[in-house]
Amino acid sequence: MAILNIQDLSVHYGLKTVIDNLSLTVKANEGWLIRGESGSGKTTLARAIAGLVKHLGCIEINFDKQSALPARTLFVENWYRFTNLEGDRNFYYQQRYNHQQKRDTVTVGRELELHGIENSLNTDSLNSLVTTFQYDKVLDEQLFEISSGEHKKLQLIKALWLSPQLLIIDQPYTGLDKDSRTHLNQLLNEYAAKGGTLIIISNDMELPECVHHLIELKNGKIVNSAYSVNEKFSISPFGGNTKGARSEAQKLLPSFLTNPPEYTSQELVYMKDIHVRYDEKYVLTDINWQVHAGERWLLQGHNGSGKSTLLSLITADHPQAYANDIRLFGVQRGGGESIWDIKKRTGLISPELHWYFDANATVSQSLASGFFDANGQYQRLRYAQKQQLEELLHFLNLYEVRDELLATQPLGKQRLALLGRTIIKNPQLLVLDEPCQGLDQQQTQYFNNLVDEISKNGVTIIYVGHFETQLPSCLTHKLVLEEGRVILRQTIGD
Amino acid sequence: MANYFNTLPLREQLNQLGVCEFMSNDEFADGVDALKGKKIVIVGCGAQGLNQGLNLRDSGLDVSYALRKEAIEEKRASWKNATDNNFNVGTYEELIPTADLVINLTPDKQHTSVINAVMPLMKQGATLSYSHGFNIVEEGMQVRKDITVIMVAPKSPGSEVRAEYLRGFGVPTLIAVHPENDPEGKGLDWAKAYCVGTGGHRAGVLRSSFVAEVKSDLMGEQTILCGLLQTGSILSFDKMIEKGIDPAYASKLVQYGVEVITEALKQGGVTGMMDRLSNPAKIKAFQVSEELKKIMRPLFQKHQDDIMSGEFSRVMMEDWANGDANLLKWRAETGETAFEKTPAGDMKIGEQEYFDNYTLMAAFIKSGVELAFETMVEAGIKPESAYYESLHETPLIANTIARKKLFEMNRVISDTAEYGCYLFDQACKPLLADFMKTVDTDLVGKNFNEGKDNAVDNQQLVEVNDAIRNHPVEEVGRVLRKAMTAMKAIKTA
Repeated sequence: MAILNIQDLSVHYGLKTVIDNLSLTVKANEGWLIRGESGSGKTTLARAIAGLVKHLGCIEINFDKQSALPARTLFVENWYRFTNLEGDRNFYYQQRYNHQQKRDTVTVGRELELHGIENSLNTDSLNSLVTTFQYDKVLDEQLFEISSGEHKKLQLIKALWLSPQLLIIDQPYTGLDKDSRTHLNQLLNEYAAKGGTLIIISNDMELPECVHHLIELKNGKIVNSAYSVNEKFSISPFGGNTKGARSEAQKLLPSFLTNPPEYTSQELVYMKDIHVRYDEKYVLTDINWQVHAGERWLLQGHNGSGKSTLLSLITADHPQAYANDIRLFGVQRGGGESIWDIKKRTGLISPELHWYFDANATVSQSLASGFFDANGQYQRLRYAQKQQLEELLHFLNLYEVRDELLATQPLGKQRLALLGRTIIKNPQLLVLDEPCQGLDQQQTQYFNNLVDEISKNGVTIIYVGHFETQLPSCLTHKLVLEEGRVILRQTIGD
Repeated sequence: MANYFNTLPLREQLNQLGVCEFMSNDEFADGVDALKGKKIVIVGCGAQGLNQGLNLRDSGLDVSYALRKEAIEEKRASWKNATDNNFNVGTYEELIPTADLVINLTPDKQHTSVINAVMPLMKQGATLSYSHGFNIVEEGMQVRKDITVIMVAPKSPGSEVRAEYLRGFGVPTLIAVHPENDPEGKGLDWAKAYCVGTGGHRAGVLRSSFVAEVKSDLMGEQTILCGLLQTGSILSFDKMIEKGIDPAYASKLVQYGVEVITEALKQGGVTGMMDRLSNPAKIKAFQVSEELKKIMRPLFQKHQDDIMSGEFSRVMMEDWANGDANLLKWRAETGETAFEKTPAGDMKIGEQEYFDNYTLMAAFIKSGVELAFETMVEAGIKPESAYYESLHETPLIANTIARKKLFEMNRVISDTAEYGCYLFDQACKPLLADFMKTVDTDLVGKNFNEGKDNAVDNQQLVEVNDAIRNHPVEEVGRVLRKAMTAMKAIKTA
């Protein structure tokens, strides 16, 4: 029997048609993949099925009364939103690093416990999920303290623990390292074996075996579909053709970005015997690292290995910088410099910055806020700044949507806008912390080509990427962290 | 110690009450220069203390914390807050003698004992900063003549002060210099530099005086901000129960309603709030608020009079001396009200429904904001100061009720505000008893427009709109809100 029956579904946002007269039938216990380029309507389709958006047409869901799984639909969003104990979502991306005795959110363990109580779930099955994802060590941490990869795992653990009859996951692999992806696929197969129906939204092709059906969306319509018995779909992986992306990147770089950045010191980062700890827990231990002008570093490590914390010391976002021996741009930290002096030399993009970005900012304001290192634009632009903004909007193909809210744009466009924010002032140092998290292969390729292009002016770069992700080709050095320590440091190409 | 305000001749009283200037951006062009290289010691490390200190240090200033010996030895929360963030922490004896600027961020009640302990240790020509003028104005604290006394008061909870700073913005801030203690004439420059260090200069700064700050702050918090929100919430809830509305619904409507309704107030003033009502509901709310103003005006005036004469602080300080006996008793009583004890239901209430089904609250807020503003201005406080302490702060307080009802509001506000809030509430409820008998569920609990034909008289609507828009609090509010939003989000890029 069909668990999901969609007839003539249309969804409009204002005058824009996002889903266009779409029909689809999914039978119980099938596994489906929805793919398509950014803005093609994937997430909207999922949200419509979950009853989260107004739509025209018919969506019928029939649960199996005999099934042992709960008769429910669960939609796991790409982005995870949590609130503090007072129901507030007023967080800022540096909050992880500002330590205060007052506990603002619940612990991860408590969050899981509450989820279990709310849905009357059995604790035994939770333990095996926690073990599989190697999640034991984060259970005592506060929700706002954990890394973006750990947040993703929390979402997935909650979903798989509940195991509803219809499970829809938007970008399940975002931010997960390779081991975690393998574990996830194994767990998804187990879920299917119990009789669950799975819909995954992703452009990845490392899928669990239980996925046999594929549809591809474009402009809110199904433009391609395929079926496979043995995980080999007859159509090519999505975004395999990156020709389009290359020609985009060949657009002429705005002239202000071809000027070399004005270095104030050849030594940008100097760190000696760095330690960062919360109470008795060490997050970083004995870190020694120097970054010089023009070097382009790759920073790697598993989820929770301390990458973001290390970068927060460089972007002046971590209060413990004052207790460590750190020089930034040749100036000793704690020597009377303000964080704004440091930030004006640095451009930062990270998943956390994106999470907590000003929800009321337009695309254009988001880019412009890079001039002021603010989260949203708070100051008036000078003439030259307006010119730069305009050039950059054209270069990134964002000019058409410049007055739309950033938050309403597809993820790929949002990331591009935030990349624009980091380079708009042509800084000395670019800190790109997992800038392609959540983007598909084609978008990642395009983004990395841009980074390569920008790097030609001699800007210094620190780029965080997972071991197996595609990387820009301009990188010259590599630093690998494990449990807060440096385990490898090398020159790339040696 | 004698009440400072009462020692002043009338001319000087009016003079200090009238200090009020919305400062322009270019006044802050020197940044934190005046405090560069100076030693700043903060006394107290609670929410304001810690977060202001984090901001000042991130602005390149030298910050450490002086705590009482017991707090350090017993590793209390204040000690943990400071040391976890790698600040230098020491006793008063160790740190105060080295300080160029001592920032007192302890609760009001401790000010006298803190200042008495700190003052003898301060070096010649140092500066002392407060974030509230109660100790100087009401308690009449006399500070050594060589010491400069300033005030920097961010108009937000400590956590917001930090969050907005890190977003690259700040929170609206009030600054002042005590005229009796500005021997070198450096007070204003230091206050401005301190304000820049916390990010306040980006969000709008009002130059005030210790006297104006205290007399308007006390008035605002006792009447519209806390007192009337408490009275209005309890009366509304009780009325719905009396009329048979589902208690879970009533609880939810009251708990979240003030936040939703005052969000409109924040963005568009009283006019913006009233415009969210249907035309017939707006006319009704206007009439109700006029009636409420007539009933409550003498009570608002009494509060202002007692604040001006020092009677309020005298009575409250008696309670301090008595171990807070009244405060604790009243706090317990508030915790026992039916509203407080009825959990909010999990039904969905749409944003517009809060306006349509809770018209009474819009009327309460309109009457309270206007009365507080009018009464303050009559007493010699300038409209800009009165605006900050009435309309501007109402949404911030309403937000705490949405979190955890009145208990949370009273926990978050200062003990001084809480004490005044209870005084107001106790006097206001009996005053409104007859009025409340006339209220039915169309004003609270059900949609005002239900069963009505939505018709209004043109002329009447024009008059009502006119009266709402042209109230003085709206006139000054339009100017101030424009100045603040122009800074917050420049939507012209």
